[in-house]
Amino acid sequence: MNVEELVRDSLREQAAGQVPLGPGFADRVLTARRRRRAREIASVAAATVAVVAVAVGVPLLDGGKDDVRLASEMNKSDIIAHPEQSPPRDLIAAGDTALAAYYTTSLVKETADKGADRRTYRILDQETGKYVKDTRWSFVDVAPGMRTAAVLEQNLPAKRIGILDLLTGEVERWIPVDEGVAAVEFSPDGDKLVATTYDENPGLRYRQDYDSDGDGKANDWYPEWGQSSRTGFYVLDVDSGKGAWSKVSYNADDLNARQDFAFSADGKLVYSGLMTEPHEQFYDFEGNEVAKPANEKHLHWGVEARLSPDGKLAAGDFAGGAKTTASAINDPHTGKRVHKVRGQQLLAWVDNKRLIAWDITPGSNEFHNRLVLVTIGSDRTVPLSGFRKGNDGAGGRWTPIFAQR
Amino acid sequence: MDAEGQESFREFVAGRSSALLKTAVLLTGGDRHAAEDLLQNALVKAAGRWGRIDDPEAYVRRILYRQQISRWRLKWPRREISVAELPDAAGGSGDGAAAAELRLLMRGALARLTARQRSVLVLRYFEDLPETDVARILGCSVGTVRSTTHRSLARLRALAPELATLGPAAAERQPSRDFSPVEVRP
Repeated sequence: MNVEELVRDSLREQAAGQVPLGPGFADRVLTARRRRRAREIASVAAATVAVVAVAVGVPLLDGGKDDVRLASEMNKSDIIAHPEQSPPRDLIAAGDTALAAYYTTSLVKETADKGADRRTYRILDQETGKYVKDTRWSFVDVAPGMRTAAVLEQNLPAKRIGILDLLTGEVERWIPVDEGVAAVEFSPDGDKLVATTYDENPGLRYRQDYDSDGDGKANDWYPEWGQSSRTGFYVLDVDSGKGAWSKVSYNADDLNARQDFAFSADGKLVYSGLMTEPHEQFYDFEGNEVAKPANEKHLHWGVEARLSPDGKLAAGDFAGGAKTTASAINDPHTGKRVHKVRGQQLLAWVDNKRLIAWDITPGSNEFHNRLVLVTIGSDRTVPLSGFRKGNDGAGGRWTPIFAQR
Repeated sequence: MDAEGQESFREFVAGRSSALLKTAVLLTGGDRHAAEDLLQNALVKAAGRWGRIDDPEAYVRRILYRQQISRWRLKWPRREISVAELPDAAGGSGDGAAAAELRLLMRGALARLTARQRSVLVLRYFEDLPETDVARILGCSVGTVRSTTHRSLARLRALAPELATLGPAAAERQPSRDFSPVEVRP
């Protein structure tokens, strides 16, 4: 016998001695995948979810500005596309839904092992119709009507919320808060804000010797596993700045490091995504756990588009095959699929028949995707932006925030 | 992934996970927990592309090898590898017991190789793949496979002097001139 033969025999003997895996291994994998995807898209989901469903009035900061025409209103075209632009420079819109802002994320290192994700926002300048970089903010949400935005300064958690005028680029008013806030989101009618409170910056990242992004370097940065510093939420009246804080207890294993609250479709409740069943937990404005609304029972917080404007359809998960991308449109009351549309990931409803989605060129890299308009009952897609470059998590990739124009 | 996709994924895992686990255990040098983590991670990646992969098993195996080589698991301090007790000589004697003892020695030595060295040996001697296939899977040159094999076998001998009684292997008799480090493309 030589060494090669002994290596072969030893390996075979060792392999043969393995006790098979239990029957629950596939579920373990699928749960792990859900958690990972949830982490990747956590903030996008919360940032885009509540503002797209209902078209309503804007909280006006100053009645005297009513005669000023917003760039998002001046171009009345149904579809405003810039398929040559990535990241976008000029207004993109379809129907009543517009790309209000977008951000890129980069890691700011504090030490060799500790850092924080910092977002750089580009917000639509309503005077010029162009996306303008604004490094003052660590978090931005745009109100329906795209006249105002709620902003948080750098160094999260923040102790005040700014109400930004998108025509002047200036903060009109500050809402002070006792509990540190790291996320803000408008209600569907734009009258209220839900502000998620944290004890520390949910963007904190720690270096780990992984190479899960496949860049060949074992230098990935992750939040601390199973840790959450989330404390609860405020629901605030935008005009008066008044509101109450609710403490929300949780099991840290159920949450991402950043797990922001968002409004229900009717704006009467807030909810938080969970990484485990039942995937979403709803609360009243006092912080009491309540049952899911009937038409949001089957939604998953990872699918940003959620309910159609009339509430009769729900955006669903990827439903594509080997060569094509497609997404499901479900009956919100049963969760059963009723349509299949083009698109890799559904981001926002435009009307009751059309949505904005990420999509790729068939057969290409799944991460090289662009914004497209997809229509129920049609195979045609309309490109709205250029293709994003880089793999998931790569620097410079932009993440859209939509609002009603 | 839709319901249909989930069902076919579950079927695949039920049918192939035990075979894949064997490979994962060998790659991790006998660390069962690390092997399950490795396999889980590879299957999570496969689930993300389910329906777009032509040959799921080949895809998962490729991820297993490449992930292990890129040492994504270095976050944790190296676990102590436990090797089974030597078989009681009272149960048998002569060549059979001696061979079993040698296999256990070899198992311990394999666990002490680098992930790259071990992966090349698993591909060559457990999967019985030709050098060209090993090179393709690991994303390196045939020369690198050859030199890594040669050095790995030499390292095994150094780790377990008891192996000195064994005859030289073919791979040891033909040392390659290519002693460049193993290169793995992401």
